Amino acid sequence: MPEQLGEYRRIAVFGGVYSNAFALEALLADARTRDVEAVFCLGDMGGFGPHPDRVFPLLREHGVLAIQGNYDESLASGRTDCGCGYTDPRDNHYAAISYRYTFEHTSAEHKTWLGALPRHRRLKLGPHRVLMCHGSPRVVNEFLWESATPNGLLRHLMARAETDVMLCTHTGMKWHRALPDARHAVNVGVIGRPENDGRTNVWYTVLTAAPDLQVEFVPLAYDHEALAREMDREGLPSEFAETIRTGWWTTCLENLPARERARGKY
Amino acid sequence: MTRLPVATITSAGQAPIAPFVGLATLWVQITGTWCNLECRHCINASGPKSPWIKPLDAATIARAIREAEGAGVKEIYFTGGEPFLHGEILPLLELALAAAPTTVLTNGTLIGPEMADALAALAGRAAYSLELRVSLDDTDQEKNDRIRGAGAWGKAVEAVRLLRERGLLPIVTATEITRDEHPAGAGMYERFRDFLHAQGVERPRVKIMPVFGLGRQPAGAAPPLTEEDLEGFDRSVLQCADARVVAAGGVYACPILAGLEGARLSTGSLEASFQPTPLYHPACVTCRQTGMTCRNS
Repeated sequence: MPEQLGEYRRIAVFGGVYSNAFALEALLADARTRDVEAVFCLGDMGGFGPHPDRVFPLLREHGVLAIQGNYDESLASGRTDCGCGYTDPRDNHYAAISYRYTFEHTSAEHKTWLGALPRHRRLKLGPHRVLMCHGSPRVVNEFLWESATPNGLLRHLMARAETDVMLCTHTGMKWHRALPDARHAVNVGVIGRPENDGRTNVWYTVLTAAPDLQVEFVPLAYDHEALAREMDREGLPSEFAETIRTGWWTTCLENLPARERARGKY
Repeated sequence: MTRLPVATITSAGQAPIAPFVGLATLWVQITGTWCNLECRHCINASGPKSPWIKPLDAATIARAIREAEGAGVKEIYFTGGEPFLHGEILPLLELALAAAPTTVLTNGTLIGPEMADALAALAGRAAYSLELRVSLDDTDQEKNDRIRGAGAWGKAVEAVRLLRERGLLPIVTATEITRDEHPAGAGMYERFRDFLHAQGVERPRVKIMPVFGLGRQPAGAAPPLTEEDLEGFDRSVLQCADARVVAAGGVYACPILAGLEGARLSTGSLEASFQPTPLYHPACVTCRQTGMTCRNS
């Protein structure tokens, strides 16, 4: 079915659910209070958290318009790893535990649903052409960190993609760059885990055409202690629950550039 | 001129080809093969005397950075030789950091307190991340210095300390050259991480590289790649598909083969090197087999 090009004035966008149904519920309630016309998810529904199947009914019942992340692609195609591309055996150890748990606890129906998601979405936000992707417009698992994504690269990617606004996720840390030619790149962040700043809240993004583009990062509190308890009960590594409880990343740190790594505890 | 040991190579005309998919990584061989150390396993036989690849002048580097920025480059790497021997390293780093996140591959032996201060100031005001990759081949001083030369371990460890004290997080980079000298099961990453923790590094960063059979390291017996070896393999993941190296004498396909005639893709502009690469050298087998990259991650 051809993708329909929607036109919007105000939207909510988030990435990286990582099986955090508590944060997803909080987001859906919060977004309703913000006068948004639609809610979009930029992929990576599973991994890290407990009970991945609890996420899908929420996404579907609330009409969240989703695209596929690398984790979703791996689960749908029966890959043996998450496609995160770590080299450090410690990172691979934790990534493997997370992926195996998620693979075993995601139903066949939900894997099929993930497999049918589009890899990109295009829409109009007021006068702005918007492209949504997971990692980058060219590679699903490309990391676009704030301190490691030069303006020249953004201009290049957005010119090739013929878009005024590029929305991505995948890194787990939000940022917004307004380029001199009125183009915008936004990493919308993730709701699955906090962003390595010692705070327990997560983040999503509200974009408004006013008609200039307005980008608002929304902090989202949720019952993170309940999530951490479920992670413990499911036997997921205590390092994962520590991240949820403290706001500091404990694993899979090797891809962070110097500046982002220096802000964290580990 | 130091002659490199030449392994069995196919002629470029017969070799399988890697595509060029766009410039993601620019390597600048800033000091050529001029180095204050003379490591036993150096891939390009760098050393203190008569470098067989000459250092680059600032104008050539500035031009390459401008061209790379226009082509949408994602990251820039300064390598050599030892980059901190270049008299204009700091202004050139500043220039690179205005275009893209930039990494320096260094042996760390020339980073004293003043240079560490300058690097911290540069990292603080730059738009993008400054990365420093400090080479250390073993956590054990004797094993390291047997490969890298007397005193290399102490100076590199001191550089890591100076950088850490200023809030910089160097990536300690090791080759697997002494791996077999350690008990089986003692993982290199763990060993280096434990070592760095013991040095007071709270956020240890480690990169491990395979040893390549070229430069001062004897060539292995592996024959070059054939089309058959590459069947079903996605060649666009090879680093020569999206990286280029600017060095004296031209633009080359990858940092491992910089300076070698068969890997030279242009004697002029960077853009002229944006073309497919022959996978002609036995070192290409290592990239194919290990999936390794010279990038930070």
